[in-house]
Amino acid sequence: MNYPFWDIPYLGSGWVIGIIAIFHVMISQFAVGGGLYLPLAERKALREGREDWLKELVGYSKFFLVLTGVFGTISGVGIWFAIGLTHPEATSTLIHNFVFGWAIEWVFFIVELSTAAVYYYTWNKIDAKLHLVVGWVYAGASLCTLVIINGILTFMLTPGDTWLAVAGTGHEASKFWNAFFNPTYWPSLLLRCCVCASLAGIWALISASRIDGGTQPRLKSSLVKWSVKWLVPSFVAMPFLFAWYLFMVPESQRALLTLGIDTMGTGTFSTITRMALLIVMTSATIIGVAYYLAYRNPVDFNPAHAVAILLLALVATAAGEYSREMLRKPYVIGHWMYSNGVRVPYALKIDQTGYLIHSNWVWGGNCIFAYLQSPGDTSVPSCTTSYSRGEAIFRGECGSCHTLEGYRPLVKLLAGRDRANIESFIAMLHEYKADSPYHHFMPPMVGTKQDVEDLTDFLNAHVNPPAASGQKPVQTAQK
Amino acid sequence: MTTKMIASSVYDWMDERLGLSELAAFARKKTVPVHAQSFWYYWGGITLFLFMLQCFTGVLLLVYYRPGVEAYESVRQITFVMHFGWLIRSAHAWAANLMLFAILVHMFSVFFMKAYRKPRELGWLSGMVLLALAACFGFSGYLLPMDELSYFATKVGLQIPVAIPWIGPAIANMLRGGPDVTEFTVQRFFALHVVVLPALFIPLLAFHLWLVQRYGNAVPESEEAKPAAERKSMPFMPNFLRKDIAMWIISLNILALLASVFPWALGKQYDALAPAPMGIHPEWYFMSPFEMLKMLGAVLPGEAGEIAGLLLFTLGIVLWILIPFYDKNKESGRRARLAHYFGLLAVFALLATTVIGYWTIR
Repeated sequence: MNYPFWDIPYLGSGWVIGIIAIFHVMISQFAVGGGLYLPLAERKALREGREDWLKELVGYSKFFLVLTGVFGTISGVGIWFAIGLTHPEATSTLIHNFVFGWAIEWVFFIVELSTAAVYYYTWNKIDAKLHLVVGWVYAGASLCTLVIINGILTFMLTPGDTWLAVAGTGHEASKFWNAFFNPTYWPSLLLRCCVCASLAGIWALISASRIDGGTQPRLKSSLVKWSVKWLVPSFVAMPFLFAWYLFMVPESQRALLTLGIDTMGTGTFSTITRMALLIVMTSATIIGVAYYLAYRNPVDFNPAHAVAILLLALVATAAGEYSREMLRKPYVIGHWMYSNGVRVPYALKIDQTGYLIHSNWVWGGNCIFAYLQSPGDTSVPSCTTSYSRGEAIFRGECGSCHTLEGYRPLVKLLAGRDRANIESFIAMLHEYKADSPYHHFMPPMVGTKQDVEDLTDFLNAHVNPPAASGQKPVQTAQK
Repeated sequence: MTTKMIASSVYDWMDERLGLSELAAFARKKTVPVHAQSFWYYWGGITLFLFMLQCFTGVLLLVYYRPGVEAYESVRQITFVMHFGWLIRSAHAWAANLMLFAILVHMFSVFFMKAYRKPRELGWLSGMVLLALAACFGFSGYLLPMDELSYFATKVGLQIPVAIPWIGPAIANMLRGGPDVTEFTVQRFFALHVVVLPALFIPLLAFHLWLVQRYGNAVPESEEAKPAAERKSMPFMPNFLRKDIAMWIISLNILALLASVFPWALGKQYDALAPAPMGIHPEWYFMSPFEMLKMLGAVLPGEAGEIAGLLLFTLGIVLWILIPFYDKNKESGRRARLAHYFGLLAVFALLATTVIGYWTIR
C-alpha cells in the first residue's frame, strides 16, 4: 500500500514470480544436492581407482558451475526483482525481520560461488585430497544457504505465535530465532534436502546420458546406476516428511487440503489438492521411468530419456512450489499479512478510513508529481489519475491473485452476475464471516462502503460492458 | 510347495498348451533398430496404450451412460454425482485427444522414415484406415454428452457431407436419423461409437500389429545406407519393452495431469431452438480440414465452390494415402524428394490452417 502496484495483464504478477521461482528452484536445489554429489562421486572414484569416473566428473563439474553459477544466480536476482515489485510489503517485512539472516545467506553465497569455480579450475592442478576438501567446503556452504533460506520461506507460512505476539511493535527482530526456527522449519528442511538429492541424481543423469554406451559401457552403466540411486532416499522418506510437514501446518491452512480430499469424489476438490495429487503422481512416474529407462537399461540411456525425467521433475517441482504458495492462502505471511499486502490488524482501520487513503502511490501519485513540479502553487492539486477509484482498489486488493481476463479472470468468474449480484458478492468478502466459503483462501475486501461501491462499479463495467456505446468502462474521477 | 514352485508348475501347464516358450523365444530374438531417430518408434506403442485406456474408461462410462433423450442428464450424473465419474469421463475425453495426437505423430514419423515402401504398403494403408476410424470415434463420441457445444458443433460438422453432389443430403440424413440433429442422432452415434467402430477398429488394429511384427521396424534412409555390421539394434524383450513401459508411464502421467487439473467441462444442455453460441468450432483434429474448406469456399463461393473444395481436398487425401505406390524406389530420386516435400507441405498446411482456424474464432 505504500508502494506502486505492478500490473501484469493476463498473466498476473504472481505468475511472474512463479515462473522465475520454478526455474530457480530446479537449479538452486540442484546446487545443494549436486554439491554433495560431486565430492561423494570424487571420493568413490579415488577410493576405487576409477580414472574414467574422474575424467567424467571434470566435465560434469563444468556443467554444474555454468548452470548453478550463471543461471542459478541470475534467476535468484530475478526472484528478488519480481517479489519486490509484486509483494513489496511482504518483501519489506522479510528484509527488516531477517536482515542478519540475509547477510549470512549472502556470505554463504559468495563462499559457494567461489568454491564452485575453484573446484572446477583446480582439477588435476592441486593435490587430489585438497581438491576433495574444496568440494566438501562447497557442499557445506551450499547446504548452509538452504539452511538459512528455509527459515525465511517457512516463516512465511508459519511465523509462530512468539513472533506474531511482537509483530507490528517494532521489536520483531528481537524474536529472530523464534521466527527462523518456526513450526515447519525442520520438516521443510528435510523435505528440501531430499528434493536436492533427487535433483542431483536427475541432473547427473543428463550428463551421464551423453556418454557413449557403445565404447564405454562400464563407465556409463556404473554412473547411470549410481545416479539413479540418488532418487531412492527421497522417495522413501518423502511420504513421512510430507505428513510431518502437514502436521505442523496450522489447522486453518490444512483445511484447504483436507476439504479438497473430502470432495475429491465429486470432482469439486480444491486446486491445492489437485496439485498435491500431481506431486504424488509425477513423483511415482519419475521413479518408474528412471527405473525402466535408466537403471534397467543404463547403456542405452540417452539424452532424450534424461530430458524426459528432467521435465517430469520440473512438473513435480512446479506443482510443489504452487502447492506451497496455495497452502499459505489467504496470507502471504501467516496470520500477519494477507496475500494482497494488507496487514491483518490494519484491516479494521482501513474499513474505517478507506483503502485509497493508504495508497498514495496508486491514487495520489499524480498529486505528488504535480506538487513537485510547482511547489507552493495551491491551484495545482487537481489529482486526476488515469484510473478510476474502482480500478485503483482492484489493482491493490485483487491484483496480486487475479487478472481481469487472463489468469483467475474476474470477468469470467463473475460472469452472469448483474451489478447488484456483484455488489453482494463483494460485500460478502467485506464482511468476511467465519463461515464464508471464501474465508479459507481469500483475504477480506477492506475499505469503506464507498470502496465497495467503487470496486463494484469497476468490475460491473467489465463484466457487463455497455454494449451499444462501446466506450471504455473506466470512469476517471478525482480523489 | 513354495509360491515359486506353484508359479512354475502353472507356467509349465500353460506352456504345454499354448506354447509360451516359443513366444518368449520369438520375443527375445526380435530386435529393434537403434539410431538417432529411434524415438519415433515409441509412438505406435503410445497410441496402443491410449487406445487400451479408452476401452477401459469407455466401458466404465457405459455403465451409467444412457443414450437418447436422457443423454445429457446421464452425463451430468456421471460428472457431478457419481464418485470419480468426473475423473473417468475426463480421462476418456483427454485420452481420445492424446490418442489422435499420437496417431498423427506416428503417421508423420512413418511418412518421413519412408516406412510405407515395399513390403510395408499394407501397414501404411491399414494405418490410414485406423486414423479415419479414430477420427470417427472422436466425432461420434463428441456428440454423446448432448451439451450446447457438442450439439451445434455436430450440426455444423454434418453440413459438410451435404455438399457432396447428389448423395450428400441422403448421407447426412442417414447419419442424423432425420433432417436435424436430435436424440435419434445420439442413438445412432452411440451405436457407431461403442459397437460398429470397435468392431472395425480392433481386428484392423490386430492386422496392423501383425504386419509390424512380420516386417519389423523400418529404418531411415541414412541408416539403411550403412553396412549391416555398422547398424545397431537392441532386443525387443526386455530392453525395448522396458522403454515402452516407461513411455506408457509418462503418457499415463500426462493423462492424469490433464484429467485432474483440467477436468473435461460439461456445458449447458442443448436447446435446438436457441441460436448457436458464439465461437462454435470443431475439435482441434478437425480444425484443419474445416478451415481448408472454409478458405476454398471463400476463393470459390457458391455451390460450385463447395464441390470444388471437396474434390480438391479429397484429391489431397487420396494422394497422401497412395504414396506407397508412387514413391516406391529405395534410391533417393526425384520422386522421393517430391514425396518428402509433399510431407513437409502437409505438416505446414495442417499446422497453419489449425492456427488460423483458432485465430479466426477468437
